[in-house]
Amino acid sequence: MRNERLLVLLAGLAGVALVVLAIVYWVEPAGSLPSFFPGYQAHSSHVHFKHGLAAVLVGLACFVFVWFRTGPKRKPTAG
Amino acid sequence: MILAALISYPRAIVLGLVQGVAEPFPISSLGHAVILPRLFGWNIHQNDPYFISFLVATHLATALVLFGFFWRDWVRILKGLGRSLRDRGIDPDDADAKLGWLLVVGTIPAGVAGDLLEGPLRNVFASATSAAAFLVANGVLLLAAERLRRRAPQDEADDDVRIARQVGWAQAFTVGAAQALALIPGFSRAGATMGGGLLVGLSNRDAARFAFLLATPIIGAAALLKLPELMGSEGNGVRGPALVASACAVLTSYLAVRFLMRFFETRTLLPFALYCIAAGGAASIYFAVS
Repeated sequence: MRNERLLVLLAGLAGVALVVLAIVYWVEPAGSLPSFFPGYQAHSSHVHFKHGLAAVLVGLACFVFVWFRTGPKRKPTAG
Repeated sequence: MILAALISYPRAIVLGLVQGVAEPFPISSLGHAVILPRLFGWNIHQNDPYFISFLVATHLATALVLFGFFWRDWVRILKGLGRSLRDRGIDPDDADAKLGWLLVVGTIPAGVAGDLLEGPLRNVFASATSAAAFLVANGVLLLAAERLRRRAPQDEADDDVRIARQVGWAQAFTVGAAQALALIPGFSRAGATMGGGLLVGLSNRDAARFAFLLATPIIGAAALLKLPELMGSEGNGVRGPALVASACAVLTSYLAVRFLMRFFETRTLLPFALYCIAAGGAASIYFAVS
């Protein structure tokens, strides 16, 4: 039960982090990204729209996971 | 105009017809799109921006055919996803919801890997020579998947129920991640997913069905995201040929999917494996001596 809560918490945090990451990708050009970010390219003005899209979609998947795990418990079906 | 001459209408027709067949068939459409121009002596390189724009159009056409072919399934799957979100869980008897989330789980690694690795891999493995060698490797992978396949009892009448019961979350993730192989020209997306499906115990028909469902969102999204390039300056001179090629791809991919769904009721990946080994080997020898 404790592990379950920890997993949900981590998924929620990951979801928030990924949405923030997506916003960074969308507003900052490749040259202004932190150098450890995938897609960083010195002096580049290219905006990694697709990186941001991927990040936000994975973030949404994390939120869905949290949504399911915090929903009402189901009784296992007989048989 | 020079660009228009690079992909003339006859060439566009050939490339479109081949793309339509090679995308659903487990024989690498990208590999064929790289190897054929070199074999025919066409001055087309897969990293040329106009050629990428051209390929985007043909891929979008294939994705639309796949979506149309499985339209009713997609409606059921989307309804299943909606039900599970409303109920905050996946009912064990709701195969549509389970299949829908399996597709989501399988699409995530393919999408992330495609986004991060497409550019670097395209630059490293852009040559027809490497595509031919990887086509041979693709054939070997198909053979290995058939040999190592897990034969599970197929006791459900409904295709989607069988897939939903047979495939677990980790397996869907792994099969989806295997699609990243298709970023390397010569390896087939359909081959990787069909092979992965066989390894988790699906029949050839169910593995093909799962592969086509899994391929639709990723091919469609990748093509849609690159569509602005086709509409922009990089598409200058290729929009007409791309449209003709797309029409050809629609025709052949529809016929190919229809053929494969019947073919895999009784047959295996073996002919495709042998084709890849033979075609890749012959192309490799030709490139080495020419």
